[in-house]
Amino acid sequence: MTVRSSTSGPDAAGARAAVVSAPVAGRARGWLHTQTSRRLAFGYLLLAPAVCYVVLLVGAPFLFSLYLALSDATVGDPAASFVGLENFRAALETDVFYTALRNSIMFTVVAAVFKGFLGSTLAFLLLQPFRGRKFVRGLVVIPFTLPISISVLGWKWMYDSQFSVINWFLSKVGLIGTYGSADWPVWLGQPHLAIAACIAVNVWRNFPFSAIVLLAGFTSVPTEILDAARVDGTNFFQRFRHVVAPMIAPILLIGLLFDTVFTLSDLGVVYLLTQGGPANSTKILPVLAYQVGIQAGALGRGAAIALFLFPLLLPLMILLLRNLKRREY
Amino acid sequence: MTDPKRVPSTRSTLNRRKFLAAAGAGVAGSSLLTMLDARQAPAQIKGTTLRILQWSHFIPAYDAWYDKFAKEWGDKNGVKVRVDHIPHLEIPARMAAEFAAGAGHDIIYNGSSILTRLYYKNLIDLTDVADAAGKKYGGWIPAAKSLVEVEGRWYGLPIFYILAPMLYRKDLFDANNLKYPDTWELARVAARTMKAKGNPTGIALSQCNDANLMWRSAFFSFGGTEADPSGDHPTIDSKELREFLKFAKALFDEGMTPEVFSWDDASDNRYLASGIACWIHDAISAYRTTEDTNPPVFQNTVLGLEPQGPAGKRVSVAAPNVWMVWKFSKNQQAAKEFLAYLIDNDLEGMVQSRGYNMPYLNDRYKKPMPVIGSDPKLQILQDFPKIVAFYGYPGPSTTPIQEIVNTFVFPDMITKFCRGMALEDAIKWGAGEYRRIYAKHKV
Repeated sequence: MTVRSSTSGPDAAGARAAVVSAPVAGRARGWLHTQTSRRLAFGYLLLAPAVCYVVLLVGAPFLFSLYLALSDATVGDPAASFVGLENFRAALETDVFYTALRNSIMFTVVAAVFKGFLGSTLAFLLLQPFRGRKFVRGLVVIPFTLPISISVLGWKWMYDSQFSVINWFLSKVGLIGTYGSADWPVWLGQPHLAIAACIAVNVWRNFPFSAIVLLAGFTSVPTEILDAARVDGTNFFQRFRHVVAPMIAPILLIGLLFDTVFTLSDLGVVYLLTQGGPANSTKILPVLAYQVGIQAGALGRGAAIALFLFPLLLPLMILLLRNLKRREY
Repeated sequence: MTDPKRVPSTRSTLNRRKFLAAAGAGVAGSSLLTMLDARQAPAQIKGTTLRILQWSHFIPAYDAWYDKFAKEWGDKNGVKVRVDHIPHLEIPARMAAEFAAGAGHDIIYNGSSILTRLYYKNLIDLTDVADAAGKKYGGWIPAAKSLVEVEGRWYGLPIFYILAPMLYRKDLFDANNLKYPDTWELARVAARTMKAKGNPTGIALSQCNDANLMWRSAFFSFGGTEADPSGDHPTIDSKELREFLKFAKALFDEGMTPEVFSWDDASDNRYLASGIACWIHDAISAYRTTEDTNPPVFQNTVLGLEPQGPAGKRVSVAAPNVWMVWKFSKNQQAAKEFLAYLIDNDLEGMVQSRGYNMPYLNDRYKKPMPVIGSDPKLQILQDFPKIVAFYGYPGPSTTPIQEIVNTFVFPDMITKFCRGMALEDAIKWGAGEYRRIYAKHKV
């Protein structure tokens, strides 16, 4: 190919660029002074704190944990080397990981069902007009606001193998025998009871949150619509199914989203009640990650275990958010 | 094994820089030794601040004494001392956070879970302080260095350990013509007899410190070992492990209730204090609790030496407590000076903890020891230092052992067998976990 010397070469290109860029630059400068651009810039300015927050407090820790999971970092040695997927493979080699994974999913799903049921029941009750309703509405959020260590230690006492107030009550009403008998439940010592006990504490702590979220949703439904549905002859469940639920679906989905994330990553309840025992029967991924990564110092493997929560949560989050977005239009 | 890697020695050459460094270190070292010997703080620590991270002791009076002790030392030496107390289970997380931030306390405490080998590159060498104390007080008990020594240097200063003797109800043993539990077999016979009469025994089979400590005492007394003396290889899978597991299951079936699967570190204290337990194997906090809550039971509770295994061996696994100083500390000299002073006063600490804190220095065992030497029931504790061991016995407390302890592999293996898993399957699982964890820590 022949190169035309008159129009080629760096000088010519620069001259062409200068010719082209002069009006472009002029237009750009002009655009920068328009009302639209100023509004856009102001919008970005307002958005910046949120973006910074997400990048610094969510993005950076996530990327850092990804880096840890791919390295042989320990708590005392920052000079880590890249090990690829070795830490993930190491987690998949152990049976306790599968126990923790299964427990994490089961814990989240069962707790969500109970929180949904109890939360909506409580929300309906709190909708009814009665004396002191505001006071009671304030009271029900107490479990949610108490420091987790205090409330869980209280439950630990209630589940005590010897001095359990729950057992004392059950024994008094004749449902179980006395202390030392074969049917005396050891709440935190029998695998199925132990996981049920942990779930119960999580439900107790968080169902007021569900109730408050649902209450906010219920109160946002215009009474005229509900009255119209009543006039049409619908019963309570029909109104809930065909009128209320579709109208408060965005709130429900957001509540479910929060609850799933909180429950799946909840370290406190299981750690304080059983530390994952007996024999790992109540172990969940956050507890395992903490024990391996922090207490045993194997940061890389701990981070890899914790990151297994991510693929669990991601599809659910996408599903919920897409559903939510669809409802906006 | 990973920790620590042996650094090959290089040919020694002396140049100007090395000469100055060696001379400087020599001068600094001799100044420190002189200073430690004279117990006089150097002028340069005056006006500084020393931050100490301490656990919340099981005996609250000790914490009150310690805070006052530290403040008085600070006042005397012109150092502002701040002591923070947190639960011992939170210390590994706090330590990781302080290391990551490169800031925090100057002196940091480790209890039970001793993380010297994880952090030694970031801790200051305390060999001079340890050597001075050892020279002054007749040397350290044999088990001490396994906690803190890395490549021949001490990166921590052992301050005290917590013993776990047998605590048995003499009245119940006498009433049923039972021999005192001087062997594990006698302990089993007593538990079997007394369970039928409503007084079983219990050792935690859950995920707590007690489960890690108490069952290891029995296992090591049965002749079992966790690692070789170098700490490089696990030795758990053995004939002794099989014998021990059979014993543990028999003890559980005959003498315990399923409550032990749910226990935390204080449950056996309550078990004894409630008058139910015929014996427990625990720290003397159980004895002290009973003194306060159930005086009749307290009067009938007697402490015994660690029971012998089948071959007459006694090994008592104790909960160690160690002090370390961060390399990032800007007040290392004050930290060393304070620790040396603390070691000088460890017997006072023992008094303030009501005999709970056992010292690591040989001369401290001159009888009668404070508190325990004057109490006929506690005198037996003076005979423990020769049989004391820590996690990883007979090897040091290595990083794989720390992971094994923190993930409760050993008590879980016993639990699986006691809950019905076949013996060889339980061993396959437990020994497999040991091998897997050791392999992960190899470099």
